[in-house]
Amino acid sequence: MDFDLPAEHRMIRDTVREFCEEEIAPIAQEVEDEHRFPAEVFDELAALDMMGVPVSEEYGGLGGDQLMYALVTEELGRVSGGIGLSYAAHVSLGSKPIELFGTDEQKEEWLRPLATGEGMGAWALTEPGSGSDASDMDTTAEYDADAGEYVLNGTKQFITNATVANSVLVKAVTEPDAGYDGISTFIVDPENDDGFEVTTVWDKMGLNCSPTCEIQLDDVRIPEDRLLGEEGEGWTQTMKTLDGGRISIAALSTGLAQGAYEAAKEYAGEREQFGQPISKFDAIRDKIVDMHRKTERSRLLTHKAAVKYDEGNRVTEESALAKLDASESAREVAEDAVQVLGGYGYTEDFSPQRFYRGAKLMEIGEGTSEIQHVVLGRQLGL
Amino acid sequence: MKVLVTVKEVAEVGDDFAIEGTGIAESDLEYDLNEWDDYAVEAGVQLAEADVADEVVAVTIGPERSEETIRMALAKGADRAVRVWDDALTEEFLDVAGKVSLLEAVVAEEEPDLVLSGVQAADDSFGATGVALADRIGFEHAAVVNDLEVAADAGVANVHRELEGGVEELTEVDLPAVLTVQTGLNEPRYASLRGIRQAQRKEIAAKELSDLGLSAEEVASALTLTEMYEPESESDAEMIEGDAGEAAGRLAEVLREKGVGA
Repeated sequence: MDFDLPAEHRMIRDTVREFCEEEIAPIAQEVEDEHRFPAEVFDELAALDMMGVPVSEEYGGLGGDQLMYALVTEELGRVSGGIGLSYAAHVSLGSKPIELFGTDEQKEEWLRPLATGEGMGAWALTEPGSGSDASDMDTTAEYDADAGEYVLNGTKQFITNATVANSVLVKAVTEPDAGYDGISTFIVDPENDDGFEVTTVWDKMGLNCSPTCEIQLDDVRIPEDRLLGEEGEGWTQTMKTLDGGRISIAALSTGLAQGAYEAAKEYAGEREQFGQPISKFDAIRDKIVDMHRKTERSRLLTHKAAVKYDEGNRVTEESALAKLDASESAREVAEDAVQVLGGYGYTEDFSPQRFYRGAKLMEIGEGTSEIQHVVLGRQLGL
Repeated sequence: MKVLVTVKEVAEVGDDFAIEGTGIAESDLEYDLNEWDDYAVEAGVQLAEADVADEVVAVTIGPERSEETIRMALAKGADRAVRVWDDALTEEFLDVAGKVSLLEAVVAEEEPDLVLSGVQAADDSFGATGVALADRIGFEHAAVVNDLEVAADAGVANVHRELEGGVEELTEVDLPAVLTVQTGLNEPRYASLRGIRQAQRKEIAAKELSDLGLSAEEVASALTLTEMYEPESESDAEMIEGDAGEAAGRLAEVLREKGVGA
């Protein structure tokens, strides 16, 4: 059992960290304030081959593993949760399903532009009336045999990257009354498919540089070769996708925690009250030690899930555990960071409030903490 | 044309560190590619991209640990690397003359047309290796280069040199030459992730003294490190406070005291 990262992974992490500190950290608050998706940053990520880290080289990706992808995602989260979220959604939810379930033709047409970073990926599962219970989905895809087309109708909610996406993987019901077995996945092109409309871009508590959207699908006609996998496979695809996706949310959470921890540690070492740095007081020292403890724990669970994934195992338990623990830790660590900085921590001139706002979403997206408990309970045979 | 870039892994210390004997505690050190060498690597890679250089070879003197650092040069585009080290070098301080002897042997093997080297290393800051190497191997040289154009056909490098007092010197240097590179020559790139992955498979040839036809005596240092201590620093900075008028008044007073405008 080797706890040291391979040299290649370490080099990649260090390079990405340097890039994030130099190029993203200085604008992280600004893009939040402006609610602006920083396309120029994603162009740079593309130039550095970051947009397709765990996608095979055959389709323009880096050919790296899940561990490498987790390291990159953590570094993004350490400076900007919003950029990290759009990145993780692009890779785990927008790109990986095409690689895992698509035909060679689909990969060439839809995966390649995502892996090379020409376009952004997205996926659409949640609906206004269907969140944790996806079997209650209202979006439909009816097959028009004469035209050889599917006709999509419905509303999708909280869709990351929808305004900037090259493709959206839309889940829709192809067989009503079949429950989970009646769901299928379709590749929708927001720009060229008529009837696709982003109806809302939400203002959120945090992560505002990452667009979160409501989508309206109004008689969207798409050719049948846009069906991903077979009809009725949508839900099993979703489960497999989320096994990987949760690792990236765990990694992103670890990054948020790390960023918050470092901000608090640095501040506490410099801020003097009662004649000494506040880090010398037990109350603050203990807080910072606990922040470090939780961050390191998140990282270990995340790396364990990633390594198991890379070994070809199903990682439902590991990824749920990592996501549950890392997201809660991130929120706790970020909250403590705000507290350590006191009044300054509550201002937007300092980063802890940004980490705090961002961390809260980690407990909600890609399965709430409550759902992670359900998943884990099932894994434990409860 | 072949370019040889000398790179060094330098130790960096944080605010808190412990001195152990004539060194700094290993646990307080972090290693990184010397900043000036980063510009030299970038210059070499740009020459390759402009089809001026056919091959860019990075050379370093350092233990196995330094492979990680020199691999960064490979990730940024150097074609291969040579790493020189020997158990005999671990014992004592390696001075400029010793390093030059090692590099001289590498130059004899590689026969480069251009050697690029950082002006200085961030740790021992002799600022001497590049020019001393040029002297030893009989190459032309230019130091503190902050602008570079190579006309390979004409066999010359047109360089700007940064001199003191903001003066820039424009010089034509005949190749083969050694140029020591100042920060600001270019903007070093980030290694792409694909570059990093490819660098894992690029060659780093390890050479010992015997491989280079050298003996321990030939690289023995004339310098010995006798002591390592933290110099006491004094600071008597005065922060001038108050509104603009008051601050300007106090500033004028200080300047007058120091003899300005007397």
